[in-house]
Amino acid sequence: MYWKNILGVVQNKRTWCNLSKISMENEEENQPISEEIVLQFLDSTDNYITLMESLSSSLRQGWLELASARLSMGTSRVTSTLFDLNMHPAVTTLQVAPLDGESLSQDIMGRQSRFSLRKWASFNEERCSKDTEASEDLQMESNQQLHRHGSHHISANRSHASLSEEPAEARLASSESLTTIDEQVNKERSKSLSVFGTLVSPKLRAAQLSFETAMETLVEIANMRSLMLSAYAQIQQDKDKTQ
Amino acid sequence: MAGKTPIPTSNSALIAMIADEDTITGFLLAGVGNVDLRRKTNYLIVDSKTTVKAIEEAFKEFTAKEDIAIVLISQYIANMIRFLVDSYNKPIPAILEIPSKDHPYDAAHDSVLSRVKYLFSSDSVASERR
Repeated sequence: MYWKNILGVVQNKRTWCNLSKISMENEEENQPISEEIVLQFLDSTDNYITLMESLSSSLRQGWLELASARLSMGTSRVTSTLFDLNMHPAVTTLQVAPLDGESLSQDIMGRQSRFSLRKWASFNEERCSKDTEASEDLQMESNQQLHRHGSHHISANRSHASLSEEPAEARLASSESLTTIDEQVNKERSKSLSVFGTLVSPKLRAAQLSFETAMETLVEIANMRSLMLSAYAQIQQDKDKTQ
Repeated sequence: MAGKTPIPTSNSALIAMIADEDTITGFLLAGVGNVDLRRKTNYLIVDSKTTVKAIEEAFKEFTAKEDIAIVLISQYIANMIRFLVDSYNKPIPAILEIPSKDHPYDAAHDSVLSRVKYLFSSDSVASERR
């Protein structure tokens, strides 16, 4: 509530004037705080708060589904005592890359990083991270292609097939490899669920998907956090220069 | 000169968690769980028997590890070690405070928002100009 009010204040003219005054003072000394940086800061703060609300929603959904799974499967079947404590690597990891080449801010907290989520990375880690994002688009394209093939007359099909044979074959080949990747991803998902037994409640599968969504939101939050702190550090630095 | 330590680049960094059982269970279902050779996990399940000292040690351990990029901590647990969380001063791992079942997210206590809060104070500019 407090932060919603703050965001209302941000749009208030008086607060904007305060920030603009900093900009004008600095312009007088030929060291302007870029309005772009201020906007970036405000946008990233707004996005951070919005994403937090989205995260709360995903987590609530996940907890509810977990509770439903526990109800249907029994409390003893969905418990932390079943967690696998043998050595095993995480299959969902992060890729981190710094964004400023040279440090623009002397404040270490102001150095921006980019977080990327790599879900269900197993044997074929690189392919999973590159192809999983494109798999949905390509599958849709191949589905549309197959649909178009099915709706044409036979003569039209023949002529269409002769013209588009090679690209269709290439698309089918890539969609087959993507199907293999999807199978691997589903295999990893099942492996994760198998900790709680061979036959699990559909609610547990649903909880898994909800927490996957929450994880994606968290990575976006981490990126917003980085952007926010970076912009904040730059504003602070520019303010300090004017004093 | 501060801030000359480079931010590490990592291709497969971990996500550490300090949260209640259900939250940890959910994220482990999402494939985030890691157990190393010494059988050390990247998570700490906090219940009524977990001491503040244990939480502090887990926080310090996770934030010191180079292979961890994000530390998720339930906000009500972060409040128990608020001084430690607020004084944390590194970009990586990123500390993200998350809600729990019984304690919804409170933006007023978020360490990141607290850090930038004063920019929204209408007094901040006026006091500096005096």
